[in-house]
Amino acid sequence: MVFTVLIIGELLAFILTLAPLSVAQQRWNDLALISLFIQWNGLMCSSTLCLLRPLIKNQSPQFIAVSSYLSLLIMITLLSLLTFYIMNVYSITSIISSTSHWEFLLHNLLIGGIISALALRYFYIQHQWRLKVEAESCTKLQLLQAKIRPHFLFNSMNSIASLTRTRPDVAERITEDLAELFRMILRDDHELITWFREKELCLRYIDIEKQRLGERLTIQWHTNAIPDDALFPALLLQPLLENAIFHGIEPEVNGGSIIVSGELKAHQLKITIQNSNSKNLVHRQGNKIALKNIQERLQSHFPGNASIICQEKDTIYFAIVTMPYQQKPDE
Amino acid sequence: MKILIVDDEPLARERLTHLLTEIDDTYQLINASNGVEAIEQVNAQEPDIILMDIRMPGMNGLEATHHLMNIENPLAIIFTTAYDEYALQAFESHAVDYLLKPIRKDRLEKALNSCSKLNKVQLEQLGLQNHEVTYRTHISVHIRGTLFLVAIKDIYCFLADHKYVTVKYNKEGILAETIIEDTLKSLEEEFNTTFLRIHRNALIRKDNIEALQKQSDGKVLLKLRGLPEGLEVSRRHLSSVRKIMKS
Repeated sequence: MVFTVLIIGELLAFILTLAPLSVAQQRWNDLALISLFIQWNGLMCSSTLCLLRPLIKNQSPQFIAVSSYLSLLIMITLLSLLTFYIMNVYSITSIISSTSHWEFLLHNLLIGGIISALALRYFYIQHQWRLKVEAESCTKLQLLQAKIRPHFLFNSMNSIASLTRTRPDVAERITEDLAELFRMILRDDHELITWFREKELCLRYIDIEKQRLGERLTIQWHTNAIPDDALFPALLLQPLLENAIFHGIEPEVNGGSIIVSGELKAHQLKITIQNSNSKNLVHRQGNKIALKNIQERLQSHFPGNASIICQEKDTIYFAIVTMPYQQKPDE
Repeated sequence: MKILIVDDEPLARERLTHLLTEIDDTYQLINASNGVEAIEQVNAQEPDIILMDIRMPGMNGLEATHHLMNIENPLAIIFTTAYDEYALQAFESHAVDYLLKPIRKDRLEKALNSCSKLNKVQLEQLGLQNHEVTYRTHISVHIRGTLFLVAIKDIYCFLADHKYVTVKYNKEGILAETIIEDTLKSLEEEFNTTFLRIHRNALIRKDNIEALQKQSDGKVLLKLRGLPEGLEVSRRHLSSVRKIMKS
């Protein structure tokens, strides 16, 4: 910030020197003197703001703006008075010889007022922009994590590392599964894929988790009612399966089972994923993000016509997705 | 040297077994697939080092470690985890030994050579910083060098005597009791979702409430399923008992 203040100050000094279009011999000497005065002002004003920061940090933006602006004007007034006094004492009056005390002060206040308003505005906008960039990168990460738990990635890597020694063929298959899943995850969100493909991806995911959890994970598919050509937002169901495993299977010594069932009624698809909810569940906050993400994706693909509902009935947890049946257009 | 590998995933145990055998094939290796088994193995085999996974069904690694702190010769414990941002922060800040999965052989070797015994302060901090809402699944009792576990779900009530707290529980269908070191107050705080204070000296399991009986002398007794004798309810706690029985 201080560097920016220096640059702004120096630019102002140039403008002030060049502005009186008269051809003066002394112009470059004037520049030196004007720069000195303005930089002195700029640095003092910056330090005032720094000193003020702890006091006004928690106030409203309006209050901060007004109080910083006023303190800058006060600082400029003080410095102008001081400068005028020093120049009088050492009789360096070449620039201001023609102006009186009050005129000098008024000039400085006007110029200083305009410039500091511009500078404050500039810093404010820059700050907002930085916040926005931070927020955006944060959302991107959250989006990625909504689609896949980091847990899953590292656990799968561990399974692969283990299988490489004992069953290289399975390790190879799991690596391929993982690659296919991640290729889909990292793709653009806007694509729709067929149910045939969506189910295939879910099976790949389950295949990886089955290596890790073994007998503890059983899954039943009752989805014959869903036509193969029905269109789905890619990997819509995978986060739901992941939740079911995380909450229903992993916390139980004997594991559990997941049931995926599908219906087609009056051109609406209804997919239900159910799992027994573990009583040993460790309540962890902040995993609503996957559901929120699914909701948003459904909303963007089928506005007002699709939903996801979660409910719990006697330790059984249901996630129910309803969406319109759209066929893949013939190519 | 005896090493106990605790992990719920067979593949993870398999990999550690391979790595450890490669490092030194004279290591004696034992396996356990959750916290309860780990404690049984510690009792039976007395290992020197434990490699402990954190997220496990039944009883997780942190709780198992908590119980193991009560035995006479605390063991060296190295935690293993695939990804757990909260736990990692805690490990870092309290200099607890840990390994990230997939575990590298050189890291494992280094950890085995330099691992230190965990102390209680470190453990408490781990529990605090682990943002999951954790409560124990078991109570541990230390009797003559052996660690006994009582599952919370088998417990009928905690009764405070002059000095000790007695826990009454269902031991494979038979009513059993034992003395523990926890205080009634701390137990009440920890298990307030499943247990209820009914008297200055009694904490009972909410699910087991059967009936209230008014005695001729004005005292009110609470009958619990599975417990032959009734427990006195103090006037102060009567309304909260009634509220639970209604709901």
